[in-house]
This record gives sequence, C-alpha cells and structure tokens, in this order.
Amino acid sequence: MKPDKQPHPDPSEREEAARVNRRDFLSSAVAAGVAAAGAGAAANASARQAAGDAQEPGAMPPTAAQEAMESEIPDGYTAGQAREYFVRNPGSDFMLDVIRQLGLEYIATNPGSSFRGLQESIVNYGGNQAPELLTCVHEEQAAAMAHGYYKVGGKPMGVLCHGTVGLQHASMAVYNAWCDRAPMMLLAGNHLEATDRRAGVEWSHSAQDCVRVIRDYIKWDDMPLSLRHYAESMARGLKIAMTPPAGPVAVVLDGHLQEAEAGDRDLGPVAVTLNRPPTGDEAAVAEAARWLLEAESPVIVADLMARDQVGVERLVALAEALQAPVVNQFGRMNFPNTHHLSQGAAAVAQADVVLGLELFDVWGVINTVRDRVHRDSVRKARPDARVISIGSNDLFTKSNYQNFQRFYPSDLSIAGDAQATLPLLTDAALSGMTPARRASNAAREARWREVHSLARGQALDDARYGWNAVPVSTARLYAELWQVVKDRDWALVSDDGAQSRWARRLWPIERHYQYIGRSGGAGLGYGAPAAVGAALAHRPEGRFALNVQKDGDMMYTPGAFWTAAYHGIPLLTVTHNNQGYHQEYMHLQRMAARRQRGIESSWRVGNELRNPDIDLAGIARATGVWAEGPILDPADLGPALARAAEVVDGGEPAFVDVRCQPR
Amino acid sequence: MSARSRIYRALGLAVPALLLWTLGCAVAWPGEPGDEVREGDEVREGGSLYISQQCWQCHGYEGQGGVAGVRIARTALPYEAFARLVRFTNLMPAYSPKVLSDEQLRQIYDYVRSIPEPPPLEEIPELDFD
Repeated sequence: MKPDKQPHPDPSEREEAARVNRRDFLSSAVAAGVAAAGAGAAANASARQAAGDAQEPGAMPPTAAQEAMESEIPDGYTAGQAREYFVRNPGSDFMLDVIRQLGLEYIATNPGSSFRGLQESIVNYGGNQAPELLTCVHEEQAAAMAHGYYKVGGKPMGVLCHGTVGLQHASMAVYNAWCDRAPMMLLAGNHLEATDRRAGVEWSHSAQDCVRVIRDYIKWDDMPLSLRHYAESMARGLKIAMTPPAGPVAVVLDGHLQEAEAGDRDLGPVAVTLNRPPTGDEAAVAEAARWLLEAESPVIVADLMARDQVGVERLVALAEALQAPVVNQFGRMNFPNTHHLSQGAAAVAQADVVLGLELFDVWGVINTVRDRVHRDSVRKARPDARVISIGSNDLFTKSNYQNFQRFYPSDLSIAGDAQATLPLLTDAALSGMTPARRASNAAREARWREVHSLARGQALDDARYGWNAVPVSTARLYAELWQVVKDRDWALVSDDGAQSRWARRLWPIERHYQYIGRSGGAGLGYGAPAAVGAALAHRPEGRFALNVQKDGDMMYTPGAFWTAAYHGIPLLTVTHNNQGYHQEYMHLQRMAARRQRGIESSWRVGNELRNPDIDLAGIARATGVWAEGPILDPADLGPALARAAEVVDGGEPAFVDVRCQPR
Repeated sequence: MSARSRIYRALGLAVPALLLWTLGCAVAWPGEPGDEVREGDEVREGGSLYISQQCWQCHGYEGQGGVAGVRIARTALPYEAFARLVRFTNLMPAYSPKVLSDEQLRQIYDYVRSIPEPPPLEEIPELDFD
C-alpha cells in the first residue's frame, strides 16, 4: 500500500488559496464533545458546550513571517527549486490542527525522526501550546505520565513515539494503562513507503505493522494512508479510547504524510461526539434493587468505579439509602473513608448479597487461593451469598493477557458503566423501599458506625508500634507526611499498598482526586512518571501533589524526575526505600520454607538493592530536583519534609529519600 | 426467614467486630494471658533469630506488623498457640522444625513478647487526627 501522496502545488499560483483553505479548516471544524475530552459527566457537559467552543479558531492566526514563508518563493530561487527545497503546507500542520480539535493539551514524547514533521509543526506552527510537548527521556515514562494524567484530569494525553523502538519502549506502561482502564492516544511515527525511506536507521525504525507489539493491550489502532483518513481515525480513536471500559488506542503517523505537501484541498472538518457511558438494563437494575432491599446484610464492593467526584457522591447516595457498607478496593477513590459505611474487606464474609461495581476481580472478592503446595481455593463469602455485578469489563476485552482474572458466574450480571448506572439503582431502591425496610436503617447505621469506629481505633493503635523504629516505620512515614499535607489542598498520586495502606487507614480521604489507585498491571516503572503526569494535571488547581515512591520501582524510570524539573511540575516525592525488591524477598522466603531449606544465608540473593547502597537523593539531584536524604532517624523526617514542602510550594519538584521498614 | 439467615443476621455485626478483636487480642494485648516473659540470653538470642530467620520481612523489625503480616510485638498468644501458627499456618510460610527448631521458635517467642510497649497515643501528636 502506498500513502496518498499529494501533488506539489505551484506556490506562485496557489498562495491565496492556501491561506484560505488551511485556516478554513480550523474555523469550520465542529468538534462537539472533543474540545475538552473529559470522561463521564464532565465529558457530557463538554459535549454540550463544544458546539459553541468549536466556533473559535483552533489555532493562532499566522504571523506575517509565517505567511511570507508559506506563500512566497524565496529570493534567488526559481519556482522549480522552491518545490524541491521547501514545503508550503506540510501535512503535519493539518495533523496538528486535528490534535487541537480533539483537545489534547499535552503530548509526552521522546523525540524521534519518524515524527520530525509533526514535532516541527507543534513547536513552530502551533507555538508549542495546546498541545505542549512534554520532553521525556524514555517512552515508558511518556506513556506512564499519560496514565497518571488521565486519572486526575479525566482527559487523555497524547504519547508521540517511534512506531518501532518507541512503542517497544512504551509497551510496559501501555499494558499498565490497559489493565487500569486509562485511555491515551498513542501517536506512532512510521515510514511505510519503502522507496521513500532514507538508508539506514529509517529502515530499522519502520515496520509493516508497528502497532503489533502492543495490540494485545490496546483497544484499537489504525494506520491512515491519507490526511483525511488520519483525521477520521484520530476522532474514532478518541471516541473508542474514552468509551467504557476506557483504554489506550494508537494511530500511526506516516512519515511521508507528515512531511509532504498537503496541497490545497479542503480536507474538511473533524467531528466527534463522545459516547455517553452505557447504563445497565432497566429491568435488571430493578431486580438488583429488589435483591439489595431484601438482603439482611448487603455489601457493596467498588474498584475501578468512580471517574470523578460525581461517582463518589452517587455511591454515597446508594450506600446511605441502603445503609449498606462499602468496601473500597481503591482502584479509584470511590468512597470517603471517613464515612461510617466505609468498611474493610472482612465485611464481605457476612454478606448475603454482594454488589460488585467495576471489579477488577469478581472471583477474588468471593474466593481466595491459598499459596500452598496445592493451590486450593477457599470461598470467603457465605455459601448462600448472591452476587450482583455491574461493570463494563465484558463490553470489551481481549484474550492473550490474563488481566481479566478468574471467571465468576455472578447471580445477576449487568453489563454497563457502574457510575452511570448508580442513579438508576438508587432510584429503584428508594422507590421500592418499604416502611419496615426504611425503619431498619437506623439499626444498620448504628451497627456500621460501631464497626467503623472500632477499625479507626485499631488503626491508630497499630500505628504506635514501631513508632521510633530505625528504619522508619511506614505508619510513621504517613503520620509525618500528614503533618505536611493536612493544611494544604493535597492529592496522593501514588498507591499505598506496599506501605501497609497507611494513607487509607490514617488519612481522611474524601475527594476523588486525593487518591488515584494503583498501576493496573503491577508493572514496575509506573510510580515516578505516573506521579509526574498526575501532578501536571493537579497543577492548574494549585494542589499539593505527593508521591510515595518505592525504591525498586523508581530505579526503572528515574528520568521522570528530570521531566518534572524541566517543565516545572510541583511534586513532593518521598521514598519508601526498603532497599530491595521486598515482595520477592517474601516469595523467596516462602519457597525456602516450603522446601525446608531455610533462608538465613540466601535471602539477599537476587533481591537486595544495597552493597552498594543506591543514593536515591543523588539520582534525584542529578535530574535537577531539590533532594535530601537518606533519612535514617525518624526524628529527622519531619523537618526534612517541611523543607521539601517549601520547595514544592514554590512550584518545583522536591525529593526526600527515607529508609523505611519493609512494609 | 430461614434459620441460616437468622444466624448470619446475628453475625452481621459480630463477624467484623470479632475479626478486629481477634487481630488485636491475638497479636498484642499486653498484660493478657500469654506466657511469662523470659529475659536475658533467651531474649537476646531470640532477637538475633528474629532477624536471621527473616521474621521481620513480613512483621517488621519491631514486630509491628502490616499488610504482609500481623503484629506480633508483645503477642498475647500462649506459646503453644504461637508455635502452632508458625508450624501450621494458613497465611505465612510454614516453618518446620528442620529449619526452625522448637528451641529457636521458643526464643523468638520470648523476644517478641519482650518488645517494649510503644508510646501511648497521647504522647504522639502526629497521630492526633481530630
């Protein structure tokens, strides 16, 4: 197949038409629902506003210098020479126009020749504004930044990379985003037309099917062969990426299309309206409400559910209507942990009806597998417990990678977006509630208030143990961090799972943006770049972004801190530095005990990150970030954090290395 | 309502509360039953074994516990119950006498029983979240 080459126009004949046509594209484009491609309710609101927004030009008017460059034959050149040396209206300018129309504010990239045309368009034609290039030192970091950015901003970021080596570098972070339902627009440079390739690297950096390396864990991709094809594929890709279950998509940017003359054809507008998230079947929702009302002990379990604060409030409304406890698995911040209905996973054990909302693992809520020689499974829930599942998992999945988890035959399975379905379910529950059922709510509330209070007291009591320990206990780490963030508009942009969930146990987490969940695929290298991306999304709101960074994870992608310094992204990073791949310590220990070989002399092999100790603060400092540490004495921690917070308040990233207990 | 439902209803509050109580009671209830705390060489040797046998990997250097392992500092379990949990556990790796003798296990028990009481909440302002 051959790209749709455009004839080189004669500048002397077409100069006026060229000015009109390209700018006409911008002013005539209708991008309903795209300009601010937020998710859920935000996206719908954006869609309503978009018709008005689209009347505004999508780019700054050309300067006189730009017009002269585009329309005049330079002094000393013939028309023929000008055609050989200069391009008046490159295809990548149109590509940028489309990107702007789709509302991508940032494009994270590690520069590469296969997209040099678009890079030049972004920085010169577009003035590096909306979209702005974010310089990354590795494509994995670029994709992980997009991952974190989406979970805060609700908007996809573009990731611009080589189709071959770039996508291979990016693949791990793309997989994490796929598992975590985080959309991004991967833009992959490639030279399909073999006879147009420069000798050498351009061949090594081209492929027949460059997206193949990531196709198992993206939702859709295309390789447009014309500019109009590109525009439609970009719009289609955005729509698919944002439709629940959300996920990454990829569009290949042909090198020739980028660099060649676009000509004067009117390439037309690009229009897209994002899908409204699908709601569950009305009859099935009514049946679910009946089950929940009839239940003695209904329990709600939520994981990748809330896209924004609206989702949180909808879940609060349902839980309060039923006085049903909520087990927040914190794939997203779904429910305030200060609410009396916020409960631990043990609540599932006594439930007669379990309502699962966008669960990553339905089977795992009801059962577990014991890590023994024989991996037998044990049911955690009551044998008679019925399970209602509402989620978008079954609406789109793929087969090779097994992140879909073990199959569980829910008693009532409703395909639909849980956040969009919750109002229907709450309405059905309220309308079907009998006076007797309503009267029982007082006793239910009293019961769960008591359990909530007990758990809170237990958490505080547990946090005392190891308070003065060296290295620093993870409970103390979070208690000291709370002193830093408690009077600020804070947001934790990391997962506290490896730190014994102390943020979730100690801190009041009430806003959706205050917690962004986990990596998704548990692929290391997510932490630092995802935190930088999330902090970027927090920046316009002036929020204090905090990243508790695992040391092993950090060593995969430390270059992300340079991106934060270069772009002035305020972010406090504090390490949970246990000097090893601690999960693997524990696995090795289990294997050694199972084989009765002991582990006294072998536990470090393959797992430790010391001898020599890694100077994590030195690494951060080398990337241009203010840094301090390692902190060994817990008494030194508070003052160090206070100094770092001042740096972050000044709009810059800061880093404190803290040697910590293992978990 | 079936008999089974009545039982589960009664357990509605009891189960989570019991789980919390069991956790607290089993792992740290200073002054409650347990066995007498031995002192001296046994405790020092137990501390060394606690490190060399990697107990700290899941339970922390001071037995404070966390997501990977319950708190065992100042455990209130009698030695027999503690030993049974190490040998025939549901969750942690089962340590057989071949890699951890009864005497060594007893020394570790003595050590975790002797871990000093942490400061009271009232003396830790960082844990005042009110």
